[in-house]
Amino acid sequence: MHYNNLTQRHFEHPHCAGELSGAAVRRGAAGSPAQGAWVQFDVDIDPRDPGRKVRAARFLAFGCPHVIAAADWVAQAAAGREATPSLPESVQSLRERFDVPIEKTGRLLVIEDAWIAAVSPPCGD
Amino acid sequence: MTGAVRSAPAYLDHAATTPVDPRVAARMAECLTQEGAFGNPGSASHAYGDTAGALVEAARAQVAAAVGAECGDVVFTSGATEANNLAVLGVAQYYRVLGRHLVTVRTEHKSLLDPCRELERRGWRVTYLVPDRGGRVDPDEVAAALRPDTVLVSVMHVNNEIGVIQDVEAIAKLCAARPHVRLHVDAAQSVGKQPLDFSGAGFDLMSLSAHKAYGPKGVGALVVSRRRGVQLQPLMWGGGQEGGLRPGTLATHQVVGMGEAFALASATLSQEVERIARLRERLWCGLEALGGVLHNGDAAHSVAHILNVSIEDVEGESLLADVGSSIAVSAGSACNSALREPSYVLRALGRDQRLAESSLRFSLGRYSTEADVDAAVAAVARAVTRLRRIAGRPPGPSPAGPRQCRSLGERTD
Repeated sequence: MHYNNLTQRHFEHPHCAGELSGAAVRRGAAGSPAQGAWVQFDVDIDPRDPGRKVRAARFLAFGCPHVIAAADWVAQAAAGREATPSLPESVQSLRERFDVPIEKTGRLLVIEDAWIAAVSPPCGD
Repeated sequence: MTGAVRSAPAYLDHAATTPVDPRVAARMAECLTQEGAFGNPGSASHAYGDTAGALVEAARAQVAAAVGAECGDVVFTSGATEANNLAVLGVAQYYRVLGRHLVTVRTEHKSLLDPCRELERRGWRVTYLVPDRGGRVDPDEVAAALRPDTVLVSVMHVNNEIGVIQDVEAIAKLCAARPHVRLHVDAAQSVGKQPLDFSGAGFDLMSLSAHKAYGPKGVGALVVSRRRGVQLQPLMWGGGQEGGLRPGTLATHQVVGMGEAFALASATLSQEVERIARLRERLWCGLEALGGVLHNGDAAHSVAHILNVSIEDVEGESLLADVGSSIAVSAGSACNSALREPSYVLRALGRDQRLAESSLRFSLGRYSTEADVDAAVAAVARAVTRLRRIAGRPPGPSPAGPRQCRSLGERTD
């Protein structure tokens, strides 16, 4: 399969792969290896910032190069932004940016679900 | 392919195709130009045709000798795919008044399974036998599948994905006891890797390929036992070449290349198998050290040149993308679409979808070296460690350092 340069770069060098720890870190995951894609985000949100700014984000992923590359890009792009359930850009834009075949759109939705799970306020918040 | 600096990936995909041996290429080149044997081998009226015709017959004799057949049994085709089609469709059509039932195995090559599917569309019945977890079919199961209207049994000798050798000799014996049943053996992967004795084993038909044995692409053969009186209906008409079974002007250079390649393969079989078996053991030991590496197929009944493994906790497409720049291997998934499909052969062995997708087939060859094997182990180790880390999986045992390897013969998974 052919991958565009951006996919290749983030797949080969996923700088945001890993985990975070600390009281301000929220974790969310979606998908499963059995489904072909599993993604976990750790998001460090500044508790003193009323704007809920993301200080850092890290990811773990089991999936194809598109999943790893897009999850890495999302984690990188989220830093410094407000922690909202929306991805830094839409799934459709991610699909175009990484030249993801239409059949794989579901895997990008796994990334979106993992992000939502990580940044959505827990019940009672 | 050796040396400290690699300019090209190490080629470990010889079950897909092999480079043409320079000695073969030299013989082929002699048949192409005005100074060579360029004549039509079917032109009996002049010396040009006679010269080419003699080369074709010499090549036929080389092919026959390599597989234990009679010269007159060898029908040249465009390759094993055509040979498989001719065997299945040709036998089914010719013997249709005797019955419309075939027996084959789920792990056969697509070029065998697809003609069977076509026959099913035309009203034939096909029994697809399920191999055991090692990929082997019990001859007793073949016997149990035979019916009074069975006209053909087709079982491949060496599986192209997992390298498992079927007991085709035992299957031939049980078919021989039933005069209405013909046995076809797809031996595309066998030449130069396993001894073949077409006549002695009592096969009725056998498919061969040149390019799997350091010959050219575009030529193969269907061996048809005349002694056993096997008949076929041709798939094409016009010209009468190859006993009317495969009309069309023979490509002298291709046929000569196949003959030379098969002669070389036969001459070097035993020492090559020994050398390649050592390389495969080195490869297996290196891969097994990664942890979570499972061998696919019955190791005790496999050819030396193929090693198929599934690797736990890595995704197949990422694994292939990662190692692809360092080594040329095949994945256990078919890239029929953007979403890869797991190998039907590994699924038939009972591997789950994930393990079938995360499999790699390494196939060693005449020019493979220890350096190629070491490069493959290093590339896979690097990829697996990286992908497992990205997936948050604990790393397996370190591939570095001396350790006791459980040889392929000792393994039990």
